[in-house]
Amino acid sequence: MPSSDQRATCGGCGLVCDDIAVVVGDDGGLEHLDRTCPLGDAWFRARVTAVPPLARIDGHETELDRALDEAAAILAGARAPLVYGLGQTTCETPRAAVALAETLGAVIDPAGPLLDGASGLAFSARGASTATLGDVRDRADVVVVWRADPVTTHPRLLERLRLPDASRELIVVDERRTETAAQADTFIELPADRDVEALWTLRALVRDAPVASEPPLDDLAARLRGGRSAAVLHHVRGYAAALGLHALVRDLCQVTHAVAVTLRHESNAAGAEDVLAWQTGYPAAVSFAQGYPRSNPGELSAAALLERGDADAALVVGSDPLRQLPPQAAEHLRAIPFVSVDVHGTATADAARVAFTTAAAGVHRAGVVHRLDGVPIPLRALLESSRPSDDDMLQAIAGRLA
Amino acid sequence: MTLRIAGGRVYDPANGIAGDVRDVCLNDGKVVEDVPEDAPRIDARGMVVMPGGVDIHAHIAGPKVNAARRLTPEEHRGDPVERSEIMRSGSGGTVPSTFVTGYRYALLGYTTVVEAATPPLAARHVLAELRDTPMIDSLFLVLLGNNQALFDLIRSDPARVRDAVAWWLEATGGYGVKLVNPGGVERWKRGDGNVSSLDDVVAGVTPREVLATIAGAVHDLELPHPVHVHCNNLGIGGNWRTTLDTLDTMQGRRAHLAHLQFHAYGGKPGGRLRSRAPELAEYLGAHPEFSADVGQVMFGDAMTMTADAPVSERLRDITGGKWVNADTEVETGCGIVPFTYREKNYVHALQWGIGLELFLLSRDPWRLVLSTDHPNGGSFLSYPRLIRLLMDREFRNEQLRKANKKAIQSTVLLDDLDREYSLEEIAIITRAGPARLLGLRDKGQLGVGADADVTLYDDLPDREEMFATPRYVIKGGRVVVRDGELVEALPGDLVRVGAEHDPDVEAVLRDRFEERYSVQFDSYPVTEPWLLEPARRVAAGKPV
Repeated sequence: MPSSDQRATCGGCGLVCDDIAVVVGDDGGLEHLDRTCPLGDAWFRARVTAVPPLARIDGHETELDRALDEAAAILAGARAPLVYGLGQTTCETPRAAVALAETLGAVIDPAGPLLDGASGLAFSARGASTATLGDVRDRADVVVVWRADPVTTHPRLLERLRLPDASRELIVVDERRTETAAQADTFIELPADRDVEALWTLRALVRDAPVASEPPLDDLAARLRGGRSAAVLHHVRGYAAALGLHALVRDLCQVTHAVAVTLRHESNAAGAEDVLAWQTGYPAAVSFAQGYPRSNPGELSAAALLERGDADAALVVGSDPLRQLPPQAAEHLRAIPFVSVDVHGTATADAARVAFTTAAAGVHRAGVVHRLDGVPIPLRALLESSRPSDDDMLQAIAGRLA
Repeated sequence: MTLRIAGGRVYDPANGIAGDVRDVCLNDGKVVEDVPEDAPRIDARGMVVMPGGVDIHAHIAGPKVNAARRLTPEEHRGDPVERSEIMRSGSGGTVPSTFVTGYRYALLGYTTVVEAATPPLAARHVLAELRDTPMIDSLFLVLLGNNQALFDLIRSDPARVRDAVAWWLEATGGYGVKLVNPGGVERWKRGDGNVSSLDDVVAGVTPREVLATIAGAVHDLELPHPVHVHCNNLGIGGNWRTTLDTLDTMQGRRAHLAHLQFHAYGGKPGGRLRSRAPELAEYLGAHPEFSADVGQVMFGDAMTMTADAPVSERLRDITGGKWVNADTEVETGCGIVPFTYREKNYVHALQWGIGLELFLLSRDPWRLVLSTDHPNGGSFLSYPRLIRLLMDREFRNEQLRKANKKAIQSTVLLDDLDREYSLEEIAIITRAGPARLLGLRDKGQLGVGADADVTLYDDLPDREEMFATPRYVIKGGRVVVRDGELVEALPGDLVRVGAEHDPDVEAVLRDRFEERYSVQFDSYPVTEPWLLEPARRVAAGKPV
């Protein structure tokens, strides 16, 4: 492939920056990346360097067909298989994964709720007011970053929101002075276990209800009320805190325009849940054991299933759960046969009975992901690859189950 | 595949056939003159044969619909759908999962559905859902009534709007243009409140300028479907005047009004609603350039979902329950509120009554067609009941007696309004009319060359039962429903418009994009073949 400048989209985090410029070298590799952040550089690099073989069994390279047979046998032989991950895939892959889970009578659960907290669950209880990034950039004159450190996790967020900005306020609420706080106009220190209390106090304050308060929250409430448009960018974890946050924004909507956006970590966390929701009616923790989709996050999330020892085989797609699950759940995953489908090496793939390393969306294949605000963004194919894609692999496994 | 539908009573209003006993012959996905005598046949004697249903206005795919799904796990729990040899599993409720949406439309005898409100920025999401919605051919309308980049053009370079509209349709795979509360959503998002008149100023333009300029562009492009308008002031007392004012701005150009029922209210803003259905029915009758779908409200559970976010804010304050607001930067807004219409409630009963008035006073069924604005006024599954309300006076009168008395007394429904729709008229308002209004010449009719989409009903006295359970549904020449059971699952086609634009407009838009959008101009147009194909194009331009 001749040296050339190309446009690329980065899947390094939920921001999915689509303004990356790439120079493809004469050797057919990525010679230079422009406008990427450190996370983006690492994301591209992991897809082109030290990439494991296409198919491995117990860590040893093997023929694709043999590995596919073995993967199908593991899943077909399971009584209660689990399909997990999907946050690092494009939307084609969850489509194939849901079909496979349905055929298997499996539980399917995206990694998003584990990584990003209970905001999605709170959404189903009360709804939410939200917006795309363009609205936050162009309308919000008060931006609160609540329990998140995007300078670390979404390094280009502030730049893309044109913050800091003398005419808008950036306020960070967190337990310690984070890198994001260092760029903020105001930092409010809030211990990690005080979210629920503080959010309920703020609700009362923005509604002008009599409540015993303390100066930083009084002041925050006044700023939220006083703005023309407020945006809360957050990464709250617990259910009660997520409910409180959505409720606060809803209360604020009685006074001014207000939205909340979850700073989702994985590039297609939103898309994986969207696909599950449109195909099954539920975004996560869906069981097909009865022949129809049933969802109960407390019972059927991957972490809960694994902690109870209720899964006897697993298919992990585009995810590294051994690094992310609670210890007891991770321990059970290690103890059962599982298959990994991913586009680069991971701890999970290394520990898998069968591991496939496929062509990577965003480098070798085109695809669509849903950015953290739900906007669908195309990933581009930059380099040639003879490997199949991850959804090809899921379909090949499904073909062996028929 | 060849098929003879033999001896049924055929209702094919587009071809002037009203209950004649005759054969309909199908070959290779199309209606043909004749097939060999030994071709497979369906004995349709005693059955009613109509073209497949065409839904001109529904919300079935995209971020707004999907947010509603995520909002209502309890509904899905109550209506699970098992997988079968041919069907994917899913869940129902007012907003079914995609597979179930397709199956249930087919089981109802519908073969073509319009998704009526797509934010262009979300076109890829809409297309991906439509591809997972089997059985039906689908098309979507793109929201252009609150687009700041277009507002810029309307202000500074209105001559370019026509090319910009064509570009947007090409960039998204859309079929037509939808305006929702033009200007009002953007104004509300700015914190300045909704517009109340067509002359309020928003970002340097007025709703009237937006309506006139974009309707003009759609007219000049000769798109097969005229501009599809959700008027300003939805649900507000006295809004019938806004509706008339909107039509006035068209200056003789064609326009289709969405869910007219919600825009047919007398009274004052904030005051008690009154019916102005008779006046609007009269006006519509006298103006052949205009059409509407009714947006009938049906008692029971519904899911309000709209790009008209200020309306959802009002509904939120009525229900106090679940509410979603989702702003889509420079394009549109979105609101979702689960809602239950109750027959004893004055407003709900009046809305129900106004819808019926519009139907019963309509002079031209070709231009006033059936919709519930699914799922806003009720699910598409309630169409059979609505058809019975129109066809069966006694049934209707029973239902009228159960509804809020004050509301019904303030309509003309009790004033000898004893009209009963005929089967021919039902065929017009559910297939022939919508197809004609959409400019889908292969749909909604059974003439030679039409798509082989056909629905066969038993001629039952209970019209609700009849239309809820077709005996056969044939899609593209294949029998997909037999005796109320789905027997084959097929993917549908995307139907998109083909309209040309001057490529120079792309440079003009590119400049505005880089400033206004949060995505790159080069990321915006949908090019992915797996999202766009298979598709059929309906070319803009005067029909030959």
